[in-house]
Amino acid sequence: MAVERAAGGSSLIDVLDRVLDKGIVIDAWVRVSLVGIDLITVEARVVVASIDTYLKYSEAVGQSVPVARPALESRPYDELAAENQALRAELSAAGGARQPAARRRRPGV
Amino acid sequence: MAKKTTKTKERPATKRAATKRAAPKRPDTKRPAAKRVVPIAVKAPAKAPREKTPSRRSDETGTAGDLFRGKYVYCVIQSADSLKFGAAGIGDNGTEIHTVHYRDLAAVVSDVPLGVLDSTRENVLAHERVNEIVMRDHTVIPMSFGTIFKTRDDIVQLLRSAYDAFGDVLSKMRDKMEFGLKVLWDRDSIVKDIEDEDEGIHRLKNEIALQKGSTYFARMQYGRAIDAALQMRSERYGSEILDRLRDVAVASRINKPIGDKMIMNAAFLVSRDQETAFDTRVKSIAAEHDKLTFKYTGPWPPYNFVNIRLKLERV
Repeated sequence: MAVERAAGGSSLIDVLDRVLDKGIVIDAWVRVSLVGIDLITVEARVVVASIDTYLKYSEAVGQSVPVARPALESRPYDELAAENQALRAELSAAGGARQPAARRRRPGV
Repeated sequence: MAKKTTKTKERPATKRAATKRAAPKRPDTKRPAAKRVVPIAVKAPAKAPREKTPSRRSDETGTAGDLFRGKYVYCVIQSADSLKFGAAGIGDNGTEIHTVHYRDLAAVVSDVPLGVLDSTRENVLAHERVNEIVMRDHTVIPMSFGTIFKTRDDIVQLLRSAYDAFGDVLSKMRDKMEFGLKVLWDRDSIVKDIEDEDEGIHRLKNEIALQKGSTYFARMQYGRAIDAALQMRSERYGSEILDRLRDVAVASRINKPIGDKMIMNAAFLVSRDQETAFDTRVKSIAAEHDKLTFKYTGPWPPYNFVNIRLKLERV
């Protein structure tokens, strides 16, 4: 099919797809915690938390971080990663020892 | 500019948010967090602000008189000179777009009532429109929709806190623009193609048509085979199109398709000097695929290629 280029602002969906959670984002979790104060007089300071520019092909999928993740945010990523690794190690050790028991038996086969 | 004291609006907000977790300090923070406190207004869906909006067009310096004025930020650009972009801002009468500076960085802003801004069609489109106007002559880092600062000083503070980051991103985005490419197909006609081309599926279909009695299992099998074939075909199209655009784009990002007709939802970062090449390539790809529908948009500010998340940290 023939295709013509449409200007960015011509489709609301395309605009929404971009402007709501991309670009420079002020952290949403904090944002939510501010809601309800009709005029915002909360004092806060701006800290650059993380910066990334997307310049690689391979990293394409799943990059956008969910806007609010309070549970995770209280713990640094490294710590979680380490824990994950430890659990995996444990799991594979346990799995090696009692593989048959771990496998669920299908009834009636 | 001197910090405004908005006396009437000062209220003890401390107890409300003080208990919210303080974000963990990150050692890799580009700059030490500035010690100054910054009141910041913020976005969220909530009741629309019903402030008395002073009808006069306030000048860009914002005198102590306009207590109800906040500054809406559209994007960050590089410019040491004060700039104006016309009366295209968010709001009923189109407010004046101007800039707030820190060193060679500028935030492109307009005055809005201080409060939560609804993401209405008009507001969202105005946000995008301003970005597109600014983009004509500048490299922009777009701000996500709905961020309002209370005072000019707060914005200066923002620019200062993230100065290195903004500078870095601006230099990476220089002379580049984003284009969107969505690819859709007509599922039914593709299914028909698959039935014609795939021998196994063709046979299954005939079996179902001829069979008397229950065709349950044959139909199950047929459905699964079709799904797999569709999946394969969609992936093939996707990677083929991506491959064809690789050498005319700096980067690409694949977003999740929206709806079941879409098989690809991608954004491409393209150098200004490759714009024509990219454009031609997209058109020729589209011309080769009469079964597919292409939705090609841009240029956009590089929303999909900039991800700067700023945390507001309580002091």
